[in-house]
Amino acid sequence: MTSIRRDILIGLVCLALAAALPLAMPGRYVITQSTLFFIWAIVVVQWNLVLGIGGIFSLAQMALFATGAYATAMLGFYWKVPMLAAIPMAGVITVAMGMLIGLACLRLRGPYVALLTLAIAQVMYVLIVNDTDCFTTVGGCMPLFGGVRGIGQFGDIGLRALFPSKWYIAHYYVGLALLAVAVAISIVVIRGPLGLAFRALRDNPGYAMSRGISRFKYQLWIFAVSAFFTGIAGGFYAVHFRVVGPTVFSFSTLLFLIAMIVIGGLGSIWGPLLGAAVLMLADEGMRELSDYRNIGLGLLLAVFVIAWPNGLNGWLQRSLTSRN
Amino acid sequence: MAEAALEIVDASAGYAGRIVLDAIKLSARKGELTAIVGPNGHGKSTLLKAISGLVPVTSGEIRLDGSRIDRLRPDQIVERGVIQVPQGDLLFPAMTVHENLLMGAYANSSGSAERLDFVFTLLPKLKERRNQTAGTLSGGERRMCGIGRGLMAGGEVLMLDEPSLGLAPIVIEQIYEVIFNLRREGRTILLVEENAERIAEHADMIHLLDNGRIAWSGLGAELMARPEIVETYLGV
Amino acid sequence: MDVLIQIVASGLTLGAMYAVATIGLSLVYGSLNMLNMAHGAILTLGGYICYAAIVHAGLHPALALLAAAAVCALVGLLIYFSAALPLLRAENFETNIFIATIGIGSVIENLMLKGFGPYPIPQPLAVGGQVVIGNVHIPLQNVFILGVAIVLMAAVAILMQRTSAGRAIRATSMNREAAQLMGVRVGRIYAQVLALSGALAAVSGIMISSIATLTPVMGGDPMLKAFIVCVVAGLGNVYGAVIAAIALGLLEAATQYVLGVRWSFATLLLLVILVLIWRPYGLFGKQQVVRL
Repeated sequence: MTSIRRDILIGLVCLALAAALPLAMPGRYVITQSTLFFIWAIVVVQWNLVLGIGGIFSLAQMALFATGAYATAMLGFYWKVPMLAAIPMAGVITVAMGMLIGLACLRLRGPYVALLTLAIAQVMYVLIVNDTDCFTTVGGCMPLFGGVRGIGQFGDIGLRALFPSKWYIAHYYVGLALLAVAVAISIVVIRGPLGLAFRALRDNPGYAMSRGISRFKYQLWIFAVSAFFTGIAGGFYAVHFRVVGPTVFSFSTLLFLIAMIVIGGLGSIWGPLLGAAVLMLADEGMRELSDYRNIGLGLLLAVFVIAWPNGLNGWLQRSLTSRN
Repeated sequence: MAEAALEIVDASAGYAGRIVLDAIKLSARKGELTAIVGPNGHGKSTLLKAISGLVPVTSGEIRLDGSRIDRLRPDQIVERGVIQVPQGDLLFPAMTVHENLLMGAYANSSGSAERLDFVFTLLPKLKERRNQTAGTLSGGERRMCGIGRGLMAGGEVLMLDEPSLGLAPIVIEQIYEVIFNLRREGRTILLVEENAERIAEHADMIHLLDNGRIAWSGLGAELMARPEIVETYLGV
Repeated sequence: MDVLIQIVASGLTLGAMYAVATIGLSLVYGSLNMLNMAHGAILTLGGYICYAAIVHAGLHPALALLAAAAVCALVGLLIYFSAALPLLRAENFETNIFIATIGIGSVIENLMLKGFGPYPIPQPLAVGGQVVIGNVHIPLQNVFILGVAIVLMAAVAILMQRTSAGRAIRATSMNREAAQLMGVRVGRIYAQVLALSGALAAVSGIMISSIATLTPVMGGDPMLKAFIVCVVAGLGNVYGAVIAAIALGLLEAATQYVLGVRWSFATLLLLVILVLIWRPYGLFGKQQVVRL
């Protein structure tokens, strides 16, 4: 069985199981938490493309997510754009932002990329939080980006009106569909020419470059692709929670997401998804220990990088191949 | 015949699963100039790195005065007195010539003042340039500084990795004059050189390294009398 | 004129603190190629240890400072043995140690949150009084900070330039393999550098908390600024970092005066973004030619 067939099979089985979940466990809490899982899973699957496949140490993924969320909210709030149009538009805006960041990082090496992207995210956060001048006074003073309180009341995708009591299940399926597309895209990228180009650049940069594989071009491409779905996920996050605030920039969210990728397995197709699922479940299971949440996350992150750098995915593959 | 200072007994070594050296057997005798010749990319530098502990020895032994050094860390090997002047000098570019020389005596600082005098007498150019940063030296001066730094360690065996590499012919002559003088003083030298002709008449023993194996060993003078070997392996 | 004195005085104090926070970071990057993301948490820990030593253990302030430096040096050693040493043996050291220290930093920060609570605490190690230059009143605390910073930087400079141990550290950062061939035990150098960096971080943490307050997250901001300094100077360039730190402190004081406190940090960050795009290897850094 070719690896791409195997990937499609795994994907379809997961999709079918996930699609059946609301029938088995229709409780509101489980469904909304799963929807949140879909959103984070989209982000980590796309981040993994930049981090694990491109080998670009960008920490700007949450800034891109925020770009998508804020763009959606602001399009709806200021221009009354319907959400179904605003979310794809936000995706395109995020792509522009992603390519801008990609351009800024082009000439930089590993740790400098991390610092630059961290600085970009921090600038966005500081600019939003410190802006207290009223941009509009409709419904009280509001800064351009909503300031500390964020932006609300920008519309909905209409599912709340359509299914007044079961809207969260509708959102669940929207999230699942978006994730399915995001994973499909990531498989295409990893197994396709883009992934091949990056593998070539990593394994034999001299040969790859002499065959006309330009790092610059592919680096921009991977930033653009991963930004699109991250932006869409941000937009969906905005309509799902009906508010966007500067908390999306918080370091603990960044830590949570990077831990998902590392624990799952950096650079693999299913690893980040697996990591996201494991960490969301662990987070649920240890709700009463929430004081220790970030201590645990930090420890897990460090231990995995040091002892199991290939993550759960690497461990699974090893144990599967040793059995055969 | 002098006794062996450094003995390599069936040593194999390599990086990440790839064997570069295959059961090498040779020794460097006390007070002699032992040369390792052979084409590029056939393991000469790897051999010196393996002796210095920078590349792991996977089987066989390396002995200094009869005791094994192949399981030691690089710093312990330097402490025992096996000193390497690496290929391409690897000077500390932002340090002055004087500081580079002091680094040479890092592991063995007793008597370093006398050795500094000795190095400055042997290589007077370095004395002139002592407060200049190493990054600003010319190619020949850099090579002198590398050799001087190696001499500062005052070790028992001095290993030189292609000291002629990339230099103009007239500078190569100067460098080799220094090296042959050291031999006349009775130093134990293990020299890696691509061009056998340059050193054949001065070397006590020559080992020809081909594809990670010793293809031929003999007295220095013998090699030049064997044109078929020179032609096959050294392509002159 | 008074404004200028005011800006220079507070700028120098800020710059001195940033310099002390940066030296350790830069030394560690220079010798190990390790970007220590736990630096901010170690710096905060130094502030808390000093506080606890004075308030709870009743130690003399000078001893408390030493205790904080010692504890943070120990944390640096711990990071070496638990994270850097095993990761150095594997591939992708630079990326992996970056991620690992993010995790370690989070652990330290949240342990402090558990131990000392989220509320700001004043740093007891402080000097009262002020000096008057022209019409400007400068707190004695600022002068004290400047003095300590200068002494520390001079000590580090002497250590690096005049001692055999310092030369070995510099040699290792210039060329690891050549240093090994000189008989330098690089593992020991790494451990020393991380310990030294921890001790320096502790002192800068005490300084910073003495003019602001102690909170578990206070390290993030100075760490980002220390990174900015490192980046502007070129990672691993210690002397460039000191100059850049002082320039940054002066600039921050100036932008605070001109644009207000709200925008000064954003301005600095924008500046570093521009520097990175314009000179990817820092203002004083040299481009490393990658050979294939």
